[in-house]
Amino acid sequence: MERRSESLTAIAGGPARSQTRGLHRGDGWRTLALGILCALMIAPLIMAVIISLKSPSQFTRVPFMPTWPLRWENYEFAVQIISQFLLNSIITSGATVIGVLLLSSLAAYSFAQIPFPGRTLVFYAVLALMMVPASLTLVPSFVLIRDLRLINTHWSLILPWIAGGQIIGILILRAFFESLPGEMFDACRIDGASDWQIYWHVALPLTRSMLGVVAVLNILGTWNNLIWPTLTLPERKMWPLTPGLYSYMEQYYTSYGRVMAGLLLGSIPLVLLFIFTSRLFVEGLTSGAIKT
Amino acid sequence: MVVPTLAFLLVFQYYPAVSGLYRSMFDWNAGLAGNFIGLSNFVELFTDDDVFIRSLKNMALLTIWYLIAFVGLSTGVAVLIHRIRHERSKYFFRLFMILPVIIPAVVLILLWKFIYDSTIGPLNTILIGVGLQDWTHAWLAEPKIAIYAVMFRNFPWIDGVSVLILLAGLQAIPVEIIESGLLDGASGWKRLRYIELPLITGQIKLLIVLTIMWGVQEYSAVWAMTQGGPIDSTQVPGMWMYFNAFRISRMGYASAIGVVMFLITLVATILNMRYIRSQEY
Repeated sequence: MERRSESLTAIAGGPARSQTRGLHRGDGWRTLALGILCALMIAPLIMAVIISLKSPSQFTRVPFMPTWPLRWENYEFAVQIISQFLLNSIITSGATVIGVLLLSSLAAYSFAQIPFPGRTLVFYAVLALMMVPASLTLVPSFVLIRDLRLINTHWSLILPWIAGGQIIGILILRAFFESLPGEMFDACRIDGASDWQIYWHVALPLTRSMLGVVAVLNILGTWNNLIWPTLTLPERKMWPLTPGLYSYMEQYYTSYGRVMAGLLLGSIPLVLLFIFTSRLFVEGLTSGAIKT
Repeated sequence: MVVPTLAFLLVFQYYPAVSGLYRSMFDWNAGLAGNFIGLSNFVELFTDDDVFIRSLKNMALLTIWYLIAFVGLSTGVAVLIHRIRHERSKYFFRLFMILPVIIPAVVLILLWKFIYDSTIGPLNTILIGVGLQDWTHAWLAEPKIAIYAVMFRNFPWIDGVSVLILLAGLQAIPVEIIESGLLDGASGWKRLRYIELPLITGQIKLLIVLTIMWGVQEYSAVWAMTQGGPIDSTQVPGMWMYFNAFRISRMGYASAIGVVMFLITLVATILNMRYIRSQEY
């Protein structure tokens, strides 16, 4: 009986007592299995680190084990090529995320707290776009961008990305704004605040953490876009990081050390973003932000 | 205050979507206005385009695999993590699952392209190292094998986002339910089958929808690894659409492919909503 009650408390999330006990019955093989999985997940990256520190002749002699001296100059070489791509990524993803946050919070606030005729209908019209896949709009979007003469400008990425990215933002933020008490907003109105003032001074500050979740999701989405930039930006020096890394690998394929150094450097910005927002992100995913 | 949003959506979402539907019925090239040809594009797709049919087969193969990997394997991993009682290691594994999300997708794809390399790739090196010379292949260059090489990239195929969503579902199950289950003798396997899985159908359903939508449309891995080759053996509809639109400038035909992909996702989503019911407690 005692054993059973102990297992119950452990399932319940474990009070302090179970934490100090170290490994529990049955944890052993689970930890081992997950540990092996994690090792396999990280193996290609370790391989990349090892190769990134090799000169071509070192690679030919010993391809997959560390060799000395370590060739840090591979990284110096990669930085020169990658930095332009990185700058483009920061410009396009940055402008997009600002646009998405502004537009989606404005729209979500109105959908949640301002009654206007046809509100539900308009909201469903926005939601319906979730079902429209990028494949349907790819060709017409390209023609549209061309007709607007935006080819070879960063606007060709930013504008469509704002349009597409705000949908999920509206969905997440509207749910949050609806959970706020309507009386609070009524009180502001009685005190004479306009809708804009309420939005800017009351609603936005309250929703900071949710804005963070939307921002991270949006950046992940635009950052990883591989194909669209190669279509609308004929000049390589305009490309963001993801297609940039692809072209970098094509160009220097046989200098493996330089390629791996470039790929690793290219991974750093997202890792940094994650380190600064990890709590937010894991919480956002595991709490109420994404629900069925 | 919704005006800016609506303006953006009208120009960059509704207009292209409608235009895509409309233009799929045209013989439409890059600069020209094009002729209305009704459903001929669709007829050609299904009766006279072997590459498109092959791309549909590849798509089905890949999507089924993604469902096994992203939903099936992820559920397994999520349950494993959930059952670990040592809080610190549980937290560590949960954090680790985010790794595939924060490494840019293109980096992983390119690393795997390198791993598959026929002369210097580690995969062949390992096979030779353990004495299996006969098993070595030019993984991405042999028509019979290339699609499987694309499919099995990113071994061990863990999808961090799915694992986290499923974990959230598992953690949200009230302790009382598990407790009463345990008292009734439902432990281990039975607890999973009769208590936990039914209660996370909501999350599983969401993942199935997302995975199907993704599997039908995704082609950046194919684009970066093989460009649809060798001899169209790894062609998928998205890649074929790209090829028609931007290599040989058959934009109407490409739009028709886009419409077919749209219809496939639509039908799959509706079926999924209707036939897999989620349970509430």
